[in-house]
Amino acid sequence: MRRQWLHGFLDLCLLSLLAEHRDYGVGLAERLSAAGFGEVPGGTLYPSLLRLEQQGLVLTTREPSASGPPRKYYELTAHGRATQAERAQAWGHFRAAVDAVTLSAQGVVVEGPS
Amino acid sequence: MTSAHVWGAQVRDVLVASGVEPREARRLTDEFLAEAQTAGQDPAGLYGPAVSYASTIARTIRTTATRTSPLDPVRGRVVLRLSQVTKRYRRRLVLRGVDLTLRAGEVAAVVGANGSGKSTLLGICAGVVRATSGTVERTPRLGYAPQEHGVSPLLTAAEHFDLFGAVQGMSRRRSRSVGGQLSRQLGWAPRPGVIAGHLSGGTQQKLNVVLSQMNRPDLILLDEPYQGFDQDAYVDFWEQVFKWREAGAGVLVVTHLLHDVERVDHVLELPRAEES
Repeated sequence: MRRQWLHGFLDLCLLSLLAEHRDYGVGLAERLSAAGFGEVPGGTLYPSLLRLEQQGLVLTTREPSASGPPRKYYELTAHGRATQAERAQAWGHFRAAVDAVTLSAQGVVVEGPS
Repeated sequence: MTSAHVWGAQVRDVLVASGVEPREARRLTDEFLAEAQTAGQDPAGLYGPAVSYASTIARTIRTTATRTSPLDPVRGRVVLRLSQVTKRYRRRLVLRGVDLTLRAGEVAAVVGANGSGKSTLLGICAGVVRATSGTVERTPRLGYAPQEHGVSPLLTAAEHFDLFGAVQGMSRRRSRSVGGQLSRQLGWAPRPGVIAGHLSGGTQQKLNVVLSQMNRPDLILLDEPYQGFDQDAYVDFWEQVFKWREAGAGVLVVTHLLHDVERVDHVLELPRAEES
């Protein structure tokens, strides 16, 4: 189930990580893992990055690295930045609705949006 | 060749076979290999098996290409109108008083259990089955993909394109280019010299759907075209249906597995046929 959720939200998570700062593939994988997603397989991560690139939400540049082979960096375009803000807000509403339902099943009263 | 090269060659082949332009397939594959090198990993370890990774990538490319044109469909003139269509085979009443109006830029799904007359109705719409009573009005330019006998097992895909193109007065070159383009939209690149009888069931159905498109019809009639399709191909197929709708065609699809009722404009549910 967690895997399916990740599929649904990976694009938003990547946009949000890139909104903080530009990064390369391995760096993004590490940050996702540090956030608590566990290890995200490359077979899931890279198609998602490719989709963002094709939709014009991120730009890529290849840069030499001091420590090894060149790295492909991803950064948000203006369109990507706007999309991130819009989707983050939509996710917030959705999460509040899910919380309202699941928490009330546990007997917790959730305050409605003020 | 190293194992990374073998993996790369396999990814490139699958991408091309799934309809990605060969140059783009090579560029993407080179990038995947470079990224694996950056990560210090074997590509198979980083991305997983070549075939499944390449299929995912090919699908990503196709679906993003589709989603970038969220135009509202333009509803236009009526391309198909059924009024009180009834079909009786001896004592069996297969269809009773079916009404349907389909306009350009609309999708209608015909659903119903096996034996409810879905294929019969489609045949009536296409004009290959005669209704017992009622009227059928339709646009002259229609494409029809029946469930069976849609392709000739001994002809190659290119020969099918020639044949169906010729009916429309298209040159051979034009037929092949149109057929190839339509195939790629369904995630398939026909291999030269392979006869239809040697294609998998799902691929034969893709060929069948491509042929129904050769004349750029105003009305598209499709019968269970996803039979033998896997899940991905099924999703691609519906994306393609909505693309045709955006392009202004009226599409009628017979299906018993309708996932997205909300996305279609009409749902026609047929009750089980009755004895009388």
